[in-house]
Amino acid sequence: MRRIFQFRWRSPTHIREDVDAEVRFHLDARVEELIAGGLPRAAALAEARREFGDLEDARQYMHRIDRRTEWQRRRRNYMWDFQRDVQYAIRRLRSSPGFTAAAILTLALGIGANTAIFSIVNSVLFRPLPFPEPERLYAVYSANRTADLLQAPVSAVDLDDWRAQRQQIEDIGGYFYAEGSTGIDLTGRGDPRRLSVVFFTPGFFSSLRVTPSQGRLPHENEMVRGGRDRVVLLSHRFWTNEFGASAGVAGTTVMLGGSPHDVLGVLPAEMRFPTDLADVFVPYSTIPDSGIPRIRPVRTLSVVARAKPGISREAVQAEMNTIASRLAGQYPEDRAWDAATVLPLHEVVTSAVRRPLLVLLGAVGFVVLLACVNLAGLQLARAVGRGREIGVRIALGARRGRLVRQLLTESLVLSVCGGVVGVFLAILLTPALLALAAGELPRASEVRLDAFVLTFSLLLSVLTGLLFGLVPAWRTASWNVHQMLREGGRGNVAAESGRLRTGLIVAEVALAVILVAGAALMGRSFVALLDVDPGFRATGLIAVQFTINTSKYPPPPAPPAGSPASARVPAPYTRFYTQVIEQVRTLPGVVSAAAVKDPPFRGNGERNGFGIPGRPVPAGQDAPSAATIHVSDGYFRTIGARIVDGREFTPQDRFDAPFVVVVNEAFARQFFPGERAVGHRILRGAPVEIVGVVNDIRQVALAEPARPTMYVHNLQNSRVKTTIVARAQGDPLALAGAIREAIWSIDPQQSITGIFTFDESVSRALARPRLVTVLLLSFGGVGLLLGAVGIYGILAFLVQQRRSEIGVRLALGARPVDVAASFVRRGLVLTVAGVAIGLAGALLLSRYLEAVLYGVRPTDPATFAGVAVMLLVAAALASWLPARRAARVDPAATLR
Amino acid sequence: MDTDRLNLLQGTLDVLILQALHGGPLHGYAVSRWVRERTRGTLQIEDAPLYKALHRLEHARCIAAEWGLSENNRRARYYRLTGTGRRRLRRDAVAWRRYATAVAHVLGPK
Repeated sequence: MRRIFQFRWRSPTHIREDVDAEVRFHLDARVEELIAGGLPRAAALAEARREFGDLEDARQYMHRIDRRTEWQRRRRNYMWDFQRDVQYAIRRLRSSPGFTAAAILTLALGIGANTAIFSIVNSVLFRPLPFPEPERLYAVYSANRTADLLQAPVSAVDLDDWRAQRQQIEDIGGYFYAEGSTGIDLTGRGDPRRLSVVFFTPGFFSSLRVTPSQGRLPHENEMVRGGRDRVVLLSHRFWTNEFGASAGVAGTTVMLGGSPHDVLGVLPAEMRFPTDLADVFVPYSTIPDSGIPRIRPVRTLSVVARAKPGISREAVQAEMNTIASRLAGQYPEDRAWDAATVLPLHEVVTSAVRRPLLVLLGAVGFVVLLACVNLAGLQLARAVGRGREIGVRIALGARRGRLVRQLLTESLVLSVCGGVVGVFLAILLTPALLALAAGELPRASEVRLDAFVLTFSLLLSVLTGLLFGLVPAWRTASWNVHQMLREGGRGNVAAESGRLRTGLIVAEVALAVILVAGAALMGRSFVALLDVDPGFRATGLIAVQFTINTSKYPPPPAPPAGSPASARVPAPYTRFYTQVIEQVRTLPGVVSAAAVKDPPFRGNGERNGFGIPGRPVPAGQDAPSAATIHVSDGYFRTIGARIVDGREFTPQDRFDAPFVVVVNEAFARQFFPGERAVGHRILRGAPVEIVGVVNDIRQVALAEPARPTMYVHNLQNSRVKTTIVARAQGDPLALAGAIREAIWSIDPQQSITGIFTFDESVSRALARPRLVTVLLLSFGGVGLLLGAVGIYGILAFLVQQRRSEIGVRLALGARPVDVAASFVRRGLVLTVAGVAIGLAGALLLSRYLEAVLYGVRPTDPATFAGVAVMLLVAAALASWLPARRAARVDPAATLR
Repeated sequence: MDTDRLNLLQGTLDVLILQALHGGPLHGYAVSRWVRERTRGTLQIEDAPLYKALHRLEHARCIAAEWGLSENNRRARYYRLTGTGRRRLRRDAVAWRRYATAVAHVLGPK
């Protein structure tokens, strides 16, 4: 299409007029011709009309089709312009490869980081749980309002009552799983192995609406307490790894915990609840009373419920409260447990990571904003550089809208290129992020870059392009043509966009301050976390876990109440346990060795009630309770804990010695404030004496202070789960093999469930804060860099623009150092303004960090002051480089 | 049957218009006169379908329209053949000739 001048687009009215004019011209011409042929006027008119035919119909038709033609033309024109703009933009971008590469890289980093974080946030937080109608799923907890325990596990006995009395709830079921501790031995298939098991109650799978991909779910009569059925469901992962995903596995039998279990079926791959790590699912009813007694006060189950369609959370909550208070009235053990807490299941699954992830998403948003401001500055500088060209085009009649569009196209080409590179970066980055999260992220295996995320990236790219392109483009297109042509597109242009540039520097600094402040707070928090005294010395400690098979090594029978300690008899369990520890202690390279049930960061002990003589429990209140951890003699010495008072367990604290207990400082503080805990007796069934106080050992997380804890001797209160802890002279891992051999020298059939160093445990406990810290620090670093580069770029451009002015000043006798100082001053003044705005913003935003911070307040003045100084130094540096160039301007050269 | 005749008529009109413009740009009235002169006595064509065809061909980008001045100095809408139109004319002309020959062949010599 040849198009030299741009025609005005025709409006519908315009089209109507054109059609009418065309028809009128035709009729007039015909009438004239007929009159010339001899007809009278009236007859000629009639004849012309007759020849024309249905005039109104033709007119309508022409209106319609002309409007379509017009639209088509506009569209084609637009596409044609766009294509030409894109070609032009590419040509221009290729002519300045340095700028283009820097811009695309900046954008790719911004958009790539956003895409990666968003893909995680989307999969973990936004996407519904992979169950049918997941919005109807809730987590239910027992609540004890007097003890302020609102999200406690549920007793299996209570759950049965809940299930029987439910009305608004379609189904409800529970499960018992603790990472690393709910396990079952698999035998008869090669070496004995410990499988990770989820114990479930009736109603668990039906609430979730999960059906096996092969085989069937157990019937309710196969999940009866004391029943003889032993059934198991395999996780998809275990089925694939262990059975090679064979089709005929349902109906076979596997040996679990020494008894044959019927394999009922295989769960679908999407079933990753409550964990990715589960190997098998076994009915909770198979746990014997010797394992977990089935009584109301024993609360072990996590519970999921599915509301009936249309039933609100409030209704579920009300119903659960009714049932719980009914049970509390009925059973004395439940007296204080008269309520329930109902939370959406999705919220519960993601609650621990919601805030950190949203913080990261916010921070990465600031990175891309900063990139926008930076590029806006660059675009503006480039536009000024082509002032004459643009002036000529405006003078030649290019309309402003058209010019804006052209300049904007250039920004969009850049941002979309940046976006494409960014998505590839994200594809590389996301697995690295997930690896860094190291199993601390729920639903991590569901993370993927899907169409939704890609749409997000595309929108973000376009938005970015508009954001950094629109203002410079608009500014450029509205320059004053005459002056621009006269001054070669310099002086006036620079002055006009001066205020804009000032704004850009201030915005840049402010955004950088916010990012750096977030990073600094998180960094300080992480340092504080590293400084936490966990209560033990992790270096040099190794742990080997196993579970004692009680059918092979029966524990001592419970002695009749009131019988003297000496009446107790040693059992095979006692001998085996003692022997293993003794054997490990003799190994060369072992400084000391002991055993514990729940090593730090691998379980938080059992929660047991106890009594204190002389302090009766008021009616309606629960007895005091504390975590209980089972240890052997020498445990505290081995892990490097400090005995604050009294003594620790010694070999003399035998099974037949009087029962004693060691408590931690938190316990002593809470229950014996202002007095010595040692020497007191507490009631654990029978009275036991507190013989020692040990320093607080962080058991759950580094950021979580130790809870009141009682340590009991494992030979006086036996547990099957055992972790041998040994302090090594050299590399602790080198001891692993020797310890395993030592155990096998006593029982070659004993399966080992895990080997780890304490350093590894501590590092795992740091994994999530480390992820957030590393990311925020890198965003902060990028922010600082972008900010500094932005200030440098804009000031350097300013110096370039004012070369002649500087030359004049120097020629008139200004000292170079003064000239340079004026530029530095200018940069710093703007920076101070930016820092002030940024600090205000950071103060507003940092409270969202509170939940992820440890040991530092979100408004920590020292941190904020440090950030301000850091930004000022960076800005001074960034201003000094261009200022130095200003001072070196040769007046003779510029004035000539 | 009716639509067949219409299609035939449309096709006929299109090729007539394209042929009329082959000699150079013409306004609608001139096209009408050209068609009338060339076909008088054979085809009774009204002006309404002719104008519809003109605008339809413009939409199909076979012809392009532009306002100009007529012989007696009045504003008239002139149509000219585009590249697309020229190709269309060549194609349709061949098809028409072949069609006419075939029909003539079937009917045999007079």
